[in-house]
Formats: sequence, C-alpha cells, structure tokens
Amino acid sequence: MSAAVPIPVIQLLQVLTVALGAPGVMGVIATVEARLQGRRGPRLLQPYYDLAKLCRKEALAPSGASWFFLAAPLVAVTAYLTIPLLIPVLTTYGLPLGYMGDILGGGFLLSLASFVVATAALATGSPYAQLGSSRAKTFSAIAEPVVLFVVFTVALLTGTDLPYALAATVRSSAGQVIRPAHLLASAALFMVILHETGRIPVETHTGTNEFGMIEEARSFEHSGPYFALLKWGSMLKQLILFTILANVFLAPWGLASTQRLGAVLLAIVALLAKAAAIGVAVAVIDNSFAKLRLFKITEYVSAAFLLAVTGVFTLYLGGG
Amino acid sequence: MLGIILALLIIPLAAGIACFWSPARAAAGITIGSGITCFCLVIALIPEVAHGTLNYLSYLRADAVSGIFLLATAFLYAAVAVYAAGYLQHHDARYARRFYLGFNVFAWAMLAAPLMGSLALLWIAVEVTTVVSALLVAIENTDGAAEAAWKYVLIASAGLGLGLLATIFAYYAGAQVLGAHSNLTIQPLLSAGPRLPKTPVELAFLLAVLGYGTKVGLVPVHTWLPDAHSEAPTPVSALLSGALLATSFYAILRFYQVATAALGTGLPRDTLLAFGIASLLLASLYVFGQRDIKRLLAYSSVEHMGILAIGVSFGAPVALAGVLLHVMAHAAAKGNAFMGAGVFTVKYGTKQMSAMRDGLRLLPWSGPLFLLAILALSAFPPSGIFRSEFQIVAGGLSSGSDAAAAVLVILVTLAFFGLAAAATAMVLTSPPREGATLEAQALGVETATIGGAHADGAAVAVKSRPHAARPLTRGEPSAFMVVPVLAGLAVLVLLGVHPPGELTDLITRGAAQLGTP
Amino acid sequence: MSSPGVYEGTANAVAALMLLIEFGMLRQALVRDQVRLYAAQSALISVLAVVIAAVRDLPELYALAALSAALKVIGVPLVLRRLLGRPIGEDTPGVPGSYTLGPASAVLASIGLAAFGFFCFGNLGIRSAEAPTTALAIAGAMVFVAFGLMIVRRDVASQAIGFFSLENAISLAALVVAAGLPLILETAFLFDLLLAVVVFAMLIRAHHARAESLSTADLTRLRG
Repeated sequence: MSAAVPIPVIQLLQVLTVALGAPGVMGVIATVEARLQGRRGPRLLQPYYDLAKLCRKEALAPSGASWFFLAAPLVAVTAYLTIPLLIPVLTTYGLPLGYMGDILGGGFLLSLASFVVATAALATGSPYAQLGSSRAKTFSAIAEPVVLFVVFTVALLTGTDLPYALAATVRSSAGQVIRPAHLLASAALFMVILHETGRIPVETHTGTNEFGMIEEARSFEHSGPYFALLKWGSMLKQLILFTILANVFLAPWGLASTQRLGAVLLAIVALLAKAAAIGVAVAVIDNSFAKLRLFKITEYVSAAFLLAVTGVFTLYLGGG
Repeated sequence: MLGIILALLIIPLAAGIACFWSPARAAAGITIGSGITCFCLVIALIPEVAHGTLNYLSYLRADAVSGIFLLATAFLYAAVAVYAAGYLQHHDARYARRFYLGFNVFAWAMLAAPLMGSLALLWIAVEVTTVVSALLVAIENTDGAAEAAWKYVLIASAGLGLGLLATIFAYYAGAQVLGAHSNLTIQPLLSAGPRLPKTPVELAFLLAVLGYGTKVGLVPVHTWLPDAHSEAPTPVSALLSGALLATSFYAILRFYQVATAALGTGLPRDTLLAFGIASLLLASLYVFGQRDIKRLLAYSSVEHMGILAIGVSFGAPVALAGVLLHVMAHAAAKGNAFMGAGVFTVKYGTKQMSAMRDGLRLLPWSGPLFLLAILALSAFPPSGIFRSEFQIVAGGLSSGSDAAAAVLVILVTLAFFGLAAAATAMVLTSPPREGATLEAQALGVETATIGGAHADGAAVAVKSRPHAARPLTRGEPSAFMVVPVLAGLAVLVLLGVHPPGELTDLITRGAAQLGTP
Repeated sequence: MSSPGVYEGTANAVAALMLLIEFGMLRQALVRDQVRLYAAQSALISVLAVVIAAVRDLPELYALAALSAALKVIGVPLVLRRLLGRPIGEDTPGVPGSYTLGPASAVLASIGLAAFGFFCFGNLGIRSAEAPTTALAIAGAMVFVAFGLMIVRRDVASQAIGFFSLENAISLAALVVAAGLPLILETAFLFDLLLAVVVFAMLIRAHHARAESLSTADLTRLRG
C-alpha cells in the first residue's frame, strides 16, 4: 500500500503503539519466563485484563493523603506518554514534535515520573511505601552517572545527542555496529534498563519480596484506577527503555524511512518484535541469576559504570 | 674466545645440575671448582674485551662494560662458593643440595646477563635471576624468610614487567629505523641512535630505570631489598648485594647507552641523578637505627647503588671510570661485609647487633677482618671504594655538578657514621657487665690483643650475655669462612692502590663506551 | 564522528574486553574464578593475534597465537591447579579480609587508574602499523589496573594473578607495538613466564602451608 500517512498521524501512532503495546510486551515476558520454568504461565494478553479489572475496582486513599497522592499517577503516565514523541519509535526521520527534547530531555521526563510517584508514596506515611521510595531514589541516584556516560557516548559518536542522529549513525556501516564504544554503551544501557525496570538481579517480581523490594513498594498504597495507571506507567517505562535500546543502539533497522502506510505498519510490527526479543532476553536472565543483596547493587551499578566509562575512553583517542 | 664464552654459559648450569645429584661435600667441591674456573675464564677474557667488542652467533656479545660486570660477578661467585662450604657445614644434605642447585643456577644467570647481545635476552636473564633468587631467599623456611621471599618476588617481578614494557618500546623504536624484524641487538640500536624516534626511546628509558631499578634497589622501589637481603642465607645475601644489584644496573646501563645515543644526555642523566640522590639520601638515613646487621648492610647496598646512579649521571670520563671501578670494588667490599656478618651470625646465633659484642676477642680473624671490611666499604683509603668514589666526585666537580657532588660526599659521610658505629660496637666494645662472673672480670673482658691469634684449643669459657644459651668460646666457626674475606680485602687494596694495567685499560674503554654520545 | 574500520573496531573491542576481564579479576572473591578469567583473557590475546595475523599478513603471529594459547590458556591454569590444589580448590571459600576496599570502591578507584594509564599511553603519539593506537592505550590502562589488583587485594593468590595479568597487558602492548618481534624471542618470553608461574606457585604453597591461609595480613614482621 503506498498511501502516504500524514505526519501528525504518524506522531499519534508512535504514542499509541507504545501505549497499547506496553502491556503486551509485559505479557510476553511473563509467559516466556513461565515456559522456561516449565509452567504454562498466564495468557499473553493477561496484563490487559488485569488493567481492565483494576479500573473497575474502588479507589481508596489513606487518610491524610493530599491531592498529590491522586495526581501522581496521572502526571507519571502523562510524562511517559510524552517520551515516544521524542525518540525514534517508528521512523528514521525526525518528526516535528520530536525536537521538543533530546536524550537528556527524555531522561528528565523519566526522572520526573519516577520522582512524582516516589514522592506520592512518601506522602502516605505507610512504612512499606516509604521504604520503597527511599530505596528507589537512592539507587537511581547511584545509577545516574551511568546514564550520563551513555549519553556522553552518544554525544561523542554523533556530535549531538539527538537519538535520531545516533540511530542514523549506527545504521550507516558495519564498522559502526562493532565499534567498542557502541557495544560498551549498549551493554551499560542494558544493565541500567534491568535496574530501572526492576528485574533480576536488582529486584524480583515473584514470591515474597518485602525485604528486597524497591519499585514494587512505591505503589502499595494506590488502588483501583490509580493503581492501574501506575502499573500501566511502569509497563510504558519498560517499553520506552526497550525502544531506546533497540531503535537507537542495538538494531535501528526496520524503521520507516518514508511516510508510506506499508512502511509505517511494518515499523510498528518491527518495534513490537524487537521489544519482545529484548523481553525474551530479560526473561532468560530472570531465570538464570539470583537477586543481589541490596548492598551489592552498588557493585552491579559500578560494573555498569565501568562499561560506560570504558566506552567513553575508547572514543577519546579515535578508533573507538 | 667463543669457547670461553660458551664455557661461561655452560659450566655453572652444569655444576648446579650436578650438585643436585651429589652428596653435600661433593656439591661444595663442585661449586668451588665451578666458581674458580669461571673466575679464571673471565680473567682470560679481559684482555680481549679491553681492546675490542666480541660478537658471536648474533646473540652473544661481550664488550668492556660486560667485562667489568663479569669480573665482579665471577669473583664473588668464586669467593662465596668457598664461603658457603663453611657456612653450610651444619645444614643437612637435603638443604645443601637444594642450596647448591639454586646457587649455581643463580650464578649462571648472572654470568649470562652481561653476555647477552639482545635486550630481550637480557631481560630473560634478569628474570631468571629473580625467580631463582626468590627461591633461595625462601630456603631458610622461617616466617621472615617466607615473607621476604614473597615481597621480593612480587615487587621484583612487577618491576621486571615494566622492564619488559621498556624492552618492547625499545623494539618499537628500533623497528622504525631497522625494519620490522630487528631482534633488539645492542650494536645496531647504538649505531642507529640519532635516527631513533624520540618518544618511544624516552618512554623505554624511563620504564627501564623504574623497572630494572626495582631490582637495583633504587628508591622508591627498593622496599623489598632490606627484607630479602637480611632473610636470605648469608652466601646468597652476599651474591644478591654484590652481584645481582650490579647485574640489574648493567641492564639500566645498556638502556642508558641507547638513550644517550638517541636523545643526547639531558633526560637520561637527570633521571639517574634524581633516582640516585633519592636512594643515597634514604639509605643514609635508614642506616641509623638498624638493629639487624644484614639489614644494615642491605641499606648500605641501596646507598652504593645510588652512588652508581649519580656517578653515571655526572657523565665525565673520570666519573664513568669511577662507576665501573666502583662496581667491582663494591662487589668485593659488600661480599666481604656480608661474609663477615655471616660469621658473626653463626657465632652468636642471632642477627641482632645488640647481642654481638666483643668480636675482637671471640673471633680473632673475622672480628678485625669485619671491621676492616666495613671501613673499606665506607670508603676508607686505601680501599678501592675510596678510589672509585673519589673519581666519581672528581668527575662531578669537573662536569659542573658541584651541588650533586657535595651532596654525595655529605651523605656518604653520614652513612659511614652509621656503619662504623655499628661495626665498632660489635667488634671493639665489651659485653654488658651484669651477669658476668667474677672470673670473667678478672680475666679482663676488655679488648684483648690479637697478636698471633690461632684458633687453638685454649678456649676461655666466658658468659658473654646473662641469658646466653651456652657460653661463647673464642674461635672461628670455619676456616672456609675466613679465607674469602682475606682474598676480598686483598683485592680491594689492590684496586685501591694500584689496579693492574689490563684492568685500567678495561675501565678506560668501558668508560669511553658509556660516555660516547 | 567517522567510524573506525571493521578491523580497528574489532581489535579495540577485543582489547576493551580484556580490560573488562581485568576489572572482573579485581572484583572476584574466589581464586579459581580469577584463574578462569585469566584463562579467558589469555584466550583473547590469542584471538587478537590471529586477527592481526589475518589482516596484516604476519604468518608468524599464528604460531605465536597457538603457542600462547597452549601455554597461557591451558598450561598456566593447569600448573596452578596441580601445584596449589587445595588452596584454590572447588569448595574453598574466599579469603576473608581479602579486599582492602570493597569491590565497588576498588572498581571505582581502578577506573581512575585506568583513565590515567589510558591517557598517558594514548597521548604519546605512538602510531603502529599493525594495530590501532587505542589498543595501546587500553594496554596501558590494563597495566595500571593490574598494579591496582596487586595493591588492593590482600591475599597471595590474587596478587600472583595480578602479576600474570600484568604480563597479559604487556603482551597486548607487544601485539600492538612489536608485532614483528622475532618468534624465537616471543617464545623465550612465554617459557620464562611459565617458569615464573612455577616459582610463584611454589612460594604460594609454602605460604599456605605455613599460615594455613592465603591472606597476607600477617606479613608484617619485617619493618623499617
């Protein structure tokens, strides 16, 4: 089909793809993990049903919680839905709203969402929620330098930190894919993603996890539709990070380079497939390693930092 | 000449292997024979290298500088081999076998190093000396020996790692000019000197001074030296201080030659001066307050290596001649000092100097010989060390490094005080009076005369320390441990008063080779 | 920024991987894991030698790669296992107090060392025809991290592994800068390393027999 899709529609499609595809990716991860453990596992589309169920339930708030507590999930989801406008989700060429922010801008939005949710959890006064949010903030502060160094790598490689530019650079030749800076930055980013989305070895999703939980705890006090928004938000974050990793670093192919409908549809399918592939890798890691003790998470982050720093160094003298 | 060189390379190794399969007395004899043979072979080699450079098989090379170091090592090998026969008489056969195997292989590696014509093979020879001597340091199997051996092998090997890096950069520099398959032989590198690229040669020289300097004992990478030299058995300590430090310095000298050929004299001399002054300063200060006699002598070795480095940095021909003479004189003098100290430790059963008193009377030969050895080591005329240090200072003054020469004189005097104070305390002072019996006091525990001293049976039982395990009798532990010291002192006096003509030719030629830019 | 060619990218990637393995050795608590990492690092040297030999047409490097693999990947771990046996066995726990800093702090401190070494060696302006300069800079970083490993770890086995990996780092530098060194000299270096390994293992065994542990915390008798 060679109908041209107008640009605003493509922008909308970017947001919709991420919004609607996020629970699906989460479902893929859960199913693959279960199959690897020898179980049948939940349905692929189970997260959709879960979100729908939660929306029908009653929303409660702790007494003494302010409007902030109720506004936080909305703010978070809004931030998460803005990011697909900035990163190459479906297309290789920059879209008009894409120049609202670069990689750092996307990073700010992610941090904003995380901050808002954590503060809301703090506002409740519940011990588990406070525990979770203080841990979450500490560990994301520790992980920030890694993210920054990855951004530096991008900047050194392309001269800008527009994600579109980096994707174009990586696509341009085989040498770009294999250069150590690129591989190291991708590896560091993958470790950060595991950390940010709360997967093994940082946090566990299954079983009793009170003593080790970081992300899980922040949403303890929310219920009903707000809880659904929070869960959806974390699924969105996961897909966004996977998208950045796939479309900017590892496999920036399959994106639409024209406005033709066929190319755009192919791009949607390619994105979901790449995200699902990363999800499978995450599931395999989930099943292969044990959760780290909390104080060893600093060692984990220092390893990611090492990868990122080495990537930047190799760029410095050229030939990296 | 090729035969002599090959014999020098084969005999000590064969002797070592033979010693492992022989009983203890035979092993001692084999080692002594090997040592004396090697010394004679080196003496036969001297006239040739004093007048020209020998090159064989593209990897063997002997010139005047190698000749000097060979002479020092071979003399010490022979002398210490005789000494070890006496030192080991109370050890069992198993210890003796392992000791002699290590001893001969150690000497083999040290004799091989100056004969290697390629920097790569030189590195390998020095590395072999490191590992073999580490095993020898650990052979005593005490806690202190194990600790010293581990520190030694770790620090020295790490330093030699840097030395390997230096060799690689030297290869790179040479390959730019000589083509990709240069095998790091010294002569082509020297000839290509000014054409070599500057930065790799600078890097190679600095890494070589730091890396090989670890084995020489230059401050600040000397930290293994006092431990290893004090915990090793005394014959090994003598070889370590007298010969191994010199062999490692030989490696630095080769890199120095290449560096001056390529870079001129600025950076190489400044580097050596800095390291030399640091070593001399630190060692002179540490000499005070030492309680262990071998540790004291080890710090004195650090001091002398500093003097060598400073001497090379002066660059004047008379200073370089002084350096080469100093290598030989220090080998003899330090060997004497350690051998004398060894007699003391065997006699008194401890290495602590506070326990050693009245040496003049209890050791009628070794006591005064040790005192003379220490005085010779501290540059008393007419010892060879005095002559060499005088030449170095004269060279410094003539080349305009007045401040450095002055510093050298001051620090050497400082070290002399430290050494002499310790030595005179050991030899000349009487033991503390408490606990001494009335009989002992009546016999006059103060210094007796030496005249006509023989190790006769007229043992006088005296309690020299209140809590000594058994009373110390007057007498030498072994004649084997006295003769080498006498020989060493004779050599020192010879070097100081009137070096033989051939030797002077050798030194002059060596100084010319080192000094030619 | 223009990309390096595939060859340079590969060579630098292999070198960077070796550096990361060096950091891995720094973090590992168990000696047998460190030995395995050392074997992996030595294997990477051989891989790089083969890559350089294939692209730059230096057939001697194939022989060197094979010999290096035989001696360092197979020989050294074998010698260590034979001579050390129990101290590095399968069920030996890590040496307590082996870290002077914690693993995370050690890694961060070593990143500083690596940065220093990297920029020291990289800014020398040494251009080699055989391999990219970044690989030399990475070798410099590895040298510093190997020294760091010897400094921050307090047990004799880690210190020995630090020295062996120092030799690996120097081999990497040799591949970059001195790929044409005659094979006979390279062979001599390798056998010399094996001799050093034997001596180190003997001394470690003596230390372990005497102190019943691999820790160096008690080696404080000799001072001043």
